[in-house]
Parts: sequence; structure tokens; C-alpha cells
Amino acid sequence: MSEAPLISVENLTRVYTVGEEEVRALDGVSFDVHRGEWVAVVGQSGSGKSTLMNLIGALDTASAGSYRINGQDVEHLSDDQLADLRNNEIGFVFQTFQLLARSTALANVELPLVYRGIPRKERREKAVKALEAVGLANRMHHRPNELSGGQRQRVAIARALVGNPSLLLADEPTGNLDSATGEEIIRLFGELHRRGHTIMLVTHEPKLAARCPRAIRLSDGKVVADGPGAEVAALGVPSGIPAGAPRAGAAA
Amino acid sequence: MKTVRRAWAELVESLRIAFGALAGARLRTFLTTLGIVIGVSTVIAIVAIIQGLDRSFEEQIQFLGAHTLYVDRHPWIQSDDTWWMYRNRKKITVEELRAVQRESQLALSVAPMVGIRGKVARGDVELESVVIRGTTEEYLNANGGGVQAGRFLVAGDVELARAAVVLGTDVVDRLFPGEPVAAAVGKKVLVAGRPFQVVGVMERQGQMLGMPLDNVAIMPWISFGRIFGGQRNMVLSVAAPPGKIADLESELTPILRKARHVLPGKPDDFSFNRQDQFLKLYKQLTGALYGMAIGVGLITLVVGGIGIMNIMLVSVHERTREIGVRRALGARRSTILLQFLIESAAVAALGGALGTGLGLGVAQLVALLSPLAAAATPSAIVFGIAFSTATGLLFGIWPAWRAANLDPVEALRYE
Repeated sequence: MSEAPLISVENLTRVYTVGEEEVRALDGVSFDVHRGEWVAVVGQSGSGKSTLMNLIGALDTASAGSYRINGQDVEHLSDDQLADLRNNEIGFVFQTFQLLARSTALANVELPLVYRGIPRKERREKAVKALEAVGLANRMHHRPNELSGGQRQRVAIARALVGNPSLLLADEPTGNLDSATGEEIIRLFGELHRRGHTIMLVTHEPKLAARCPRAIRLSDGKVVADGPGAEVAALGVPSGIPAGAPRAGAAA
Repeated sequence: MKTVRRAWAELVESLRIAFGALAGARLRTFLTTLGIVIGVSTVIAIVAIIQGLDRSFEEQIQFLGAHTLYVDRHPWIQSDDTWWMYRNRKKITVEELRAVQRESQLALSVAPMVGIRGKVARGDVELESVVIRGTTEEYLNANGGGVQAGRFLVAGDVELARAAVVLGTDVVDRLFPGEPVAAAVGKKVLVAGRPFQVVGVMERQGQMLGMPLDNVAIMPWISFGRIFGGQRNMVLSVAAPPGKIADLESELTPILRKARHVLPGKPDDFSFNRQDQFLKLYKQLTGALYGMAIGVGLITLVVGGIGIMNIMLVSVHERTREIGVRRALGARRSTILLQFLIESAAVAALGGALGTGLGLGVAQLVALLSPLAAAATPSAIVFGIAFSTATGLLFGIWPAWRAANLDPVEALRYE
């Protein structure tokens, strides 16, 4: 018997009203993500991938459709419940790192646990462990401006991991890094994937998507392809694999 | 339990952030608090000076007994345009004194007082304008006060109209320079040219409203009458049991009306004077000052509060992304609200503390450089800090509300 999916998205739609015009940034998107999957969300800018990421990350709520994560229906949650959901279920990794400039690496990593009400000592222990896991044990008391770009992103990943969330949600995590450093970060994601973390990685780079076991391609707010990363990435024209086709990732 | 722990962790985190942010922008923090500092220091200084005045005033009017009625033919406090009403009133005389002594049940003691300014001399030293007072041995009982050397007048002095005098410390200091106070006792002095024996020296009483109270020579009232004439207006000091001063007044009114032959239906032609009348007048004066201090304080606190609100709005704007990050990591709206409220309250409390310190300093300086006394009560300090903190909270509400209601998606994207 197969396990219930960690994430279940059905007919998800997000409409923005710009002036008098309605823009359907996301238009009836459906897919599941199972525990332990590493899924890339690819698409050009304007394809709706940022909107999808905001919805999956519970930063925004959908206009229509449903979204379940770890057994919770997200669409009817209050603002406080959304905050708690982000705190417990989601680990964000941003393109621009989004570290607090005045705080040390350790304090940055501790932050999600502060909002969870974890006692100080326990917080510190977990943050230290998370920083060790990303290879930054010796940079704990540095502030972001004393760290390189790659190190900053590692701190951000440690921060995303420290609360042991069900989903690691990364938005163009290599976008602000040179290619060598970006490569390190991707390897780190691969490592986390092997350790069993569920990862969604939003990117506009087909090369990056090709390295993920599964990729979902968005275009004009719709899923146009969903399959093995290499295949989805290889599609120059988004028409090869229809959205309803069997999913390599899900089957694995 | 978990909620409490979370709230505590958030509070500690908020305080840490607030003080981190304040320490990170020291100049800006200082400038922001300036409005509050000026407001609070002004109020504290004014209040400290008023409280100092209060204290010295209360000390000054101690010589008027708290439980003593002073019967005179006119009120001691009067407005400028009423003095003529009292001008033609009959003098208070020994008849009224006898009537009160005879008929009052409540009066603990009654002392007549007559007075004039005159010369007191010893050897080559002659003092002009000493307050010469004639009274009886009841004087201390009726008025309070005491002697520090020798004795006060006794019944024998009064009955026999002895040439005995009790001097105030100012008189002793000048007539017996460099000698201990007790050395004056038993010596002869000339009062209005007549020899008197010093039998005692009064305790120091200080001054009241600028008038020295120790420049005095007290003698039996008959002796006084022999020198200065017996037909003088008299003031009766009548001591009441504690808390009975109003009852005493009710009791004395008919006694005095009868003794002075006031016809029924006619108004009293005498007045009762009490210490608390002075207090009341004084409170009216300082009440106006307090009102002004509060007005100035409120205005400057509002100005300071607007300054804080302004800087907090800037701070929220600058930290939009930080707010977005915190929201993404699980901070609730209330958490963000609390964080910014604590920050503005902390700025204001800092301003309040600085302002209190500055205000006390100014008050001390005023006390040092002028005859005004200054005394700050702890309540003024607590009030200053609490009030400015409340200002910070009040004016922090809007910026904090804006911070809390930022859309996390927009905030994260903010450049």
C-alpha cells in the first residue's frame, strides 16, 4: 500500500487583480509530491513558478483549488495557523539568502526555533548541529557580511533544516552564486536528498532541473510537463510529456 | 505551557532585537529620544522645584499650629479689594480673651498676643525692628514651639508683670555674638529702653514667606502694655484638640459675638485664621504651576511621541525584508507587532530615563544657584519613566501594526 503523498495539490489557482484586469498567475495546477522526493519546478519568468512557491510555502493562499501538506488543508487556515505551518512544515531557502544582517550565523539558524518556543539551550544545540551538517561548524559566530556567498547559503540551508520540516523549499538557491559555488550547493541538496529530505527546488535553469529525479514544468500558470528531470529539462518546447502522464518520481 | 514558553522566547527575542537595533543606531536612537528627553526633563525639573517649594512652605508654616485658631479682627489672607471691609472693626481685647477662657469647653489653651516692632539693645549693640510680642505662659501650649535654653514665661512672670523676656535666636546671635546661646540666659537687655532679664531662648523657627521668625522678643503682655500701651489689637491663639478645629470654630463664634455685642442678623466682626488657609492659598498657586508643567509635559511628550512614530515608520520600512524573513520562518503577526512595540517603548523608556536624570540635574542646579528648594520624590521619577514608556507604546502602535500587517510575499521581495 502506497503512503499518502506529503503534498497534494489539486486544481490550484491563483488570480491577481491588476487594475480592472484579472491575471491568472496559476491556473488549475495539480500534482502530488511524496516523502523523500526531489522535485524541480521549472519555467520561464512569468510561468507561475514563484506564485506556486508562495502557495506551497504557505506565504500566500490560493484563489481556488486545494493544497494539503502533511495531512493539513492549507486553504482554510488562519494567518496564525499559516505562520505555525511555515514554522513546522517548511524550510525556506531563498535566492538572496535572506539572513538577518545583524545576527550571527548561529542566531540566524536558531530563529525558527525561537518562533517554536524551544528553550534556549536546546535551540543552541540544534542550531550547532544544523551548522555542522552543512559544514560551517567553524563559522558559527560570524555575521553574514563576514561570510562568502556559498557560506551564506549554507547558513540559510542550516536554518531551513534546523526545525526538521517536512519540506525543503528552495527558490533559485544558486541564482546569486558563481557556478562553482552553485555546484557545491546543488551537491549539498543531493546529499540532503539521499538522507531522505523532501525537496522542492524552483529554478529557471533547465540544467539544474535535469539533475533532479523529477521536474515539473510550468508555462502560463499551467503544468505542461511532469516527469524525470532530465526529460522535462530537455524539452525545448513544452509539449512532450503531457501533464497527466505517469510520473517517474512518484513511481520511484 | 508551550504557549507560555513560546511567548517568553518571543519576548526575550524581541528585547534582544530591540536593544540590538537601538545599539546599532546609537546616534539615531539618541536623536529620536531627544523630544522625550526634553519633555520629561522639563516636567521633572518643574515638579521637583514645586515639591521643594511645598516642603519648605510646609516647614515654614509649622510655626502656625496645625490645631490652632487665630482669632483676629480681620482675615490674614484677603484679596486687595476687601481690606476696607475690616478696617473699621473693633479691636480684639481682653474681654474676648476672658470670654473664651471662661466659656469655651473645647479650647485646650488660650493665649493673647499683642505685637509691635521695636528696639532691643545690649551694651553698644542696638537692634532696630525686632518683633516684640506680649503674651502669657499659655503661648507655647497654644502655638507650639519651645525653648532651647532657660525657660519660657511662667504664670508668675505674667501675673506680676515681671521684666522678663524670652528672645528669638536671631536676636541672641546678634546681641551675644560668638557666645553659646545659653550664655544669654540671666543677662540684662534693654527692650524699648527698659531693662529686662533674659529668662530663655526660643528654638530656631526659620522663616515664613521670607519673614524671619526668630527676630523676636517675647514678654508678659502686661509688661508689654505698660511700655507700649494697653489699647492694642490682640490676636487670640486658641488650641483645639486634634481634629476638632472646626468644632472649636463653631463653639467660639457665639462666644465672640456675645463678647463683642454683635447684634443678631449682623455679620461677624472678627475672623478665624488657620494654618490650612495658608496651605489652601499656596496649593492654589502651585496647582496652577502643576497644570502648566503637565501642559508642557503633554505637548512635548506628544511631539516626542510623533518623533518616535516617525523613526519607527522608517525603521519598519528599512526592515521590510527582515519582517518578511521572520514571517516566513514562522513569526506570527502578533510576534512582529510585539517586537516593534517593544522597540518603540524601549526608545521612549530610554528617553524617559535620560530626561529624568537631566531634569533632576536641572532641579539640583536651580536649588544650588537660587533660593528655591528642589526635592524630587521617587514617585516623580517612576512617573516620568512610566509616562514616557506609555508614550512610546502609544505612538509605536501604528508603525508596529503596519509591520505586522505586511504581506510576507511582498516583504520578502522588497528591495
